Amino acid sequence: MNSLRAFAALLRLSFRRLLWSVNTLMVLLPVTGCGLFILRRGFHKLTPPETAFDAFGSFLLFVFSSFLIPICALGFGTTALGAEREEQTLVFLLTRPIPRWQVLLAKILASIPLSCGLVMGSFACYCWLVGPVGWLALKIYWPAMIGMTLAYLALFHLFAVAFRHPTMLALVYALFMELFVANLPGSVKRLAINYYGRSLLYGLGADSGLKVPKGFEIVPMTQAYGMLAGITVGCFLVAFLFFQWKEYRDLT
Amino acid sequence: MVTIRFRRRLLPLVLNDDVMTADSSAVAECEVTFAEVTKFYGAVIGLNDLTCRIGPGITGLLGSNGAGKSTLLKLASGQLRPTLGEVRIGSLRADSTAAKRLIGYCPDHAHLYEEMTGEDFVRTMCALHGFPWDEVCQRTTEVLKEVGMSDRARRKLAGCSHGMRQRFKLAQALVHDPQVFLLDEPMTGIDPGGRQEINDLLFRLADQGKTVLVSSHILSDIETLADRILVLGRGRPIASGSLPEIRRLLDDRPLLVEIIADDPRPLAADLVALSQVQGCDVQGNRLRVRTKQAAEFYVQVQNLVLQRGHTIRQMQSLDEGAEAVFEYLQQGKHAS
Repeated sequence: MNSLRAFAALLRLSFRRLLWSVNTLMVLLPVTGCGLFILRRGFHKLTPPETAFDAFGSFLLFVFSSFLIPICALGFGTTALGAEREEQTLVFLLTRPIPRWQVLLAKILASIPLSCGLVMGSFACYCWLVGPVGWLALKIYWPAMIGMTLAYLALFHLFAVAFRHPTMLALVYALFMELFVANLPGSVKRLAINYYGRSLLYGLGADSGLKVPKGFEIVPMTQAYGMLAGITVGCFLVAFLFFQWKEYRDLT
Repeated sequence: MVTIRFRRRLLPLVLNDDVMTADSSAVAECEVTFAEVTKFYGAVIGLNDLTCRIGPGITGLLGSNGAGKSTLLKLASGQLRPTLGEVRIGSLRADSTAAKRLIGYCPDHAHLYEEMTGEDFVRTMCALHGFPWDEVCQRTTEVLKEVGMSDRARRKLAGCSHGMRQRFKLAQALVHDPQVFLLDEPMTGIDPGGRQEINDLLFRLADQGKTVLVSSHILSDIETLADRILVLGRGRPIASGSLPEIRRLLDDRPLLVEIIADDPRPLAADLVALSQVQGCDVQGNRLRVRTKQAAEFYVQVQNLVLQRGHTIRQMQSLDEGAEAVFEYLQQGKHAS
């Protein structure tokens, strides 16, 4: 009972710190910017619906897979533990009678609703702005959005556990490495989360008129789902193992 | 009214004792045991083959920067694991979750959850021990009163002075009523009045039979506080014992003392006649005296002033710094 209460207190602390952090504001800025762009672009005025879906789907695909999802996952994933480490407050958690794996679990659980909420919330808002075509996109794409968010989140938690300055590293990785690797010819692109996310989005949207660009080979949807799930579980597991054994000498 | 404080010395610091063969049933919950502990940071050694048992009462941990004080405290608080050997709190491994219920750790840095108020911070730290909310609030109120922060508890930590932060840090270490207190440089940034209050608080804890391990690189901080002292140098214990024992070791240390006098030559003539003085140089109105047995020397100088009427404007030791003290003790250790 005591352990459960301690864990609940840690979860509350982690959620509160993430929610009221500068990062929330920083993530909200690009989200708002994209909303304004959608209004300006006028996807809802495009006809026929197939054309509108293709245009909106391509926009979503680019903006979410390459930008908004990594940013949201980065904003909450790396800072959940990374901020405690950088601000040297992690020492107060590591000297409490809470097992280390529970410390990381609390950080992960606190970041999941915030990142998924922000991604899905902004996605729903954009869909609402576009109208019927938007609602169709919401219905089709939500599992892919959640899958990608969780995969990025797991990767960035691993970054936070392993590296001293995870935010900078994750930013460079998400905005440059991922895009670069995902667009490489051959099988190297299979190393990028972005590639599986995009494959999934193209696969899901194919029946509704979303066209796969020339030269972009997509993997089957089951494989894409499997890879995203594997990356998520794998990264979280490695992060747990790493956190259990890692000694943070830089805390004091 | 005169208050006489009797300081309990329940279990002294025992160094180089064969702690592993000690009867484990006799190991108190509040005892910190280091058994042949070595800690490496890559190729650098942080702590080198330390075996000691630290029991109830106040133990001062003294050493210059990089001596291994913080490493020792981090090992005792379970933040680090020893490369070799074992660290235990009572019968529990120091890095186990159960052992963390027994310790209260106060880090040396001043980084706190800046967005919180002091009260919020202490309450949150208490809640992380799993107490019911009513108890959390009650304990927080009591501990804030104990560290003298009740009236400033609602202040944001971001706007708190260094001394106030130190007190909130102490409060978070005390709030769950642990058996072992590990305090890393707790007096840093605290004014003399505040130091006395914190000293009194630590004396009270020691009187309750708790183990208090306080680190500092300033000898005077420790000597007013600790029953026993463990001096570390380059990761090794270089001296240990009660304060008089350590003082005795230091008294034999050669010391350079500078004296500014109105008439230095007659004073120099009187000083060189003293058995404690090894040499004396005169430069203008300044005298530089090399002495052994510093305590005795100071008494003799006082006598000379009273008996022969010398006028001394200023007298100061030129190598009283912690580094010089530890260097001396370390040399003694190597020589022995």
